[in-house]
Order: sequence, then structure tokens, then C-alpha cells
Amino acid sequence: MSDADDHSGMSEGELLAAEFALGVLASVERAAARQRMARERAFANMVAEWEQRLAPWAGEIAEVSPPPQVWDAIAAALPAPAAPSAGLWQNIVFWRGFALASALAAACLAVVIYLGVIGGSQPLVASIEGGGARTFVATVDTRRGTIAVVPAAFSADATRVPELWLIPADGKPRPLGLLRADRAVTITIPPQFAAQTVSDAVLAVSLEPPGGSPTGLPTGPVIGSGKLTSL
Amino acid sequence: MDLDANRNLIAAALGRISGGDRAALQTVYRLTSAKLFGVALRILGERSEAEDVLQEAYVTVWRKAADFDPNRASPMTWLIAIARNRAIDRLRATRQSRRMDPIEQASEVADSAITADNALESAQDHARLHGCLDGLAAHERGALRGAFFDGDTYEDLAARMSVPLGTMKSWIRRAMIKLKVCLEQ
Repeated sequence: MSDADDHSGMSEGELLAAEFALGVLASVERAAARQRMARERAFANMVAEWEQRLAPWAGEIAEVSPPPQVWDAIAAALPAPAAPSAGLWQNIVFWRGFALASALAAACLAVVIYLGVIGGSQPLVASIEGGGARTFVATVDTRRGTIAVVPAAFSADATRVPELWLIPADGKPRPLGLLRADRAVTITIPPQFAAQTVSDAVLAVSLEPPGGSPTGLPTGPVIGSGKLTSL
Repeated sequence: MDLDANRNLIAAALGRISGGDRAALQTVYRLTSAKLFGVALRILGERSEAEDVLQEAYVTVWRKAADFDPNRASPMTWLIAIARNRAIDRLRATRQSRRMDPIEQASEVADSAITADNALESAQDHARLHGCLDGLAAHERGALRGAFFDGDTYEDLAARMSVPLGTMKSWIRRAMIKLKVCLEQ
């Protein structure tokens, strides 16, 4: 088309890009615009520019929490990790080995805890879960007054750190300490919280600024929680 | 949480997804799924369909994370575009025509009355877009809203506003031209 003059400097191509980004095209025109995006980099860029122009409008749309099964379905739909040559993170053999090692570690932990029981202490465990995955596993040694927390499916954020909270029957979170994404951490339970670190109390993990929550209460999103239970 | 921290967090996680990091996808999901679900729900109007679309959207994010260029788009813009496009595709595939309630031009709520969602885009971007939208004629703004929020086609909009299809096309195109000129000032 040669009607660029009618459009005050917006070419027919850019108008189509704007229409696609707005979402006003019917199926056939949408499909044609998609093909053009795949073929022409300049056209794809114009679509991206229009998406950027209109994006602030989406700020009006209220957030709605999706039900937890959506994440489960996404995790199940991801392709199986690639062949061993694809590197450690994508290597299923590594993950199987890792799972086996984790199982062995859990078994060793169980033995240690069992010995602890014989020794007279009352160990507690919590599987801290959120978003359809187990993020941390916590084991309380009530005799020593410590909590050992092992990261499971948790990856570090660039700007925030995971912080552990004890939420006893009164529902008020108490800060226990910062966790690590890359290794287990053992936290000494502050003596004033020892009496509340009992079966059925909840452990939760939130994301906080480096150094931990400045307020003494969770300020970032809670990424997982789990009840303490006697082993 | 402040805007820049949120944006950097999502952008960094998107960068890790292309290396096959599932936990990074989960981080992106945790931070953005409520917004994307809201967007899909607004367009589709049905929870079960919006859930399907949300799932498709994050699987698309997993596959296309390498295409995300932080110098070209903000991460939320990129993610919302994926969710909107999935939702509109679903709408086109499942319904011939829909939502034929007339758009009341006169009683339209002033756009500037609505507050920005700071987690998404900066307040300035939002204020600027709304300033420009307020500069449009009410019928132009109403038509753009129907397309953006309800996923209406030109034909849907022409029916809702009782004008010929050609008129609706020129309203929208003229509105887009005005919008671009205004945003570039």
C-alpha cells in the first residue's frame, strides 16, 4: 500500500505492528503478522516498541493469584533435561545421582537423628514447600537448640536473601536467621524462642534484603513454609 | 519492593532460564504469575481457560527466554506481551464473537483516575500514557480499551459501538498515530 501520507508518517507496516500489539487483529491477520515478525526483524522491532508503549496500561489490571496446580502443570510440561553432554545442570544422570545422594544424606540424617532420640532429645523436621516445590528441609536438634537447614529446590536471587522464620501457635513470625541457597546452614535457636520451637509450629522462608528483614517481620514474599513434626 | 530491584530480579532470572535453570523459571513465576494471570483472566473471563493460558505462557517463557533482550524491553513488558498474545490466540480460537455489550462512550471512566501499579512500570510511564490517552477523543479511547483489555477485534468493536467496520478501523489507526506522536513529545 502507498497510503503512508494519510497516516502522518506511520507506514502501513508500523500500523500493522501497532494493531498486532494492541491485539485488535482477527485470527488470519494475526497469523500473517506473526509470519512477518519471523521474517522481518524491523517489523518485529516495531511490534516490540508498540508493546512497550502500551504496557503501562496493564498496570490497571488487578493481580490474581493463580491456583498452585498451575505451577505443577508447568513443571510437568517442561522438556526432560537434555543428554549428558549438555552440561551438569541439564544432565539427568547428574540429577539422578544428586537425588540418590540426597536420599543417602537423608538416610544418614535419619540415623543421626535416631541416635539423637536414643540420646534423649526430641528431633523435629519440617519440609519447607512453596510454589509446588520443596525449597528447604529443616531439622531441629532440640537438645543442642539448633536448626539445620538444607536447600532443596531453591536458587538464589541476585538482590535478596532467604530468611527463616518461626511461626508458633500465636501466628506471629520470629526471625531465626538467614539461609543460603548453596549450602546447609546451622542456626542456634535464640533462647527466648526455644519454648516455641515445638511440634506443629511452622517454619517459613521469605526473601529479604541483604542482611535480613530490617523490621523484624517478613517484608518480602514468603516462598515456602512447613510444619515441624516429630520424627 | 521497589521497582528497580524487582525488574533486575526478573531480568536476572530470565537470563538464567536460557541456561536450563528450572529454579529460575520458578522465581520468575513466583514474582510475575499473579499479574499475568490477571491479564489472561481479564481477556478470557474464565478461570479454567486463563489457567491453561498461564501454563502455556510460562512454557513459552522457558523456550524463548534467550530471545529476551533487557536493552530492548522491560521484563514485565515482555512477559505481559507473551501472556496477552496467548490469551488473544485462545480467544480467537474458541469464540466467534463475544461481549457484545455496547461501549458507553459518554459514561466512560476517566483513565487518569486509575492509579498505576508500581510493580509493573514506573509511575512516570503510566502517567505519560494516561496523559496521552486522555488527549484522545472518547470514542477513540473506548475502542482502544476494548481491544487492549477485552481482546476485541475490529468487528467486535464495530458491533459494540454500532459503527461500520471501516469507521472503526480508521478510529483505531488514527488513535494509534496520535498516541505515538504524543508519547514521543
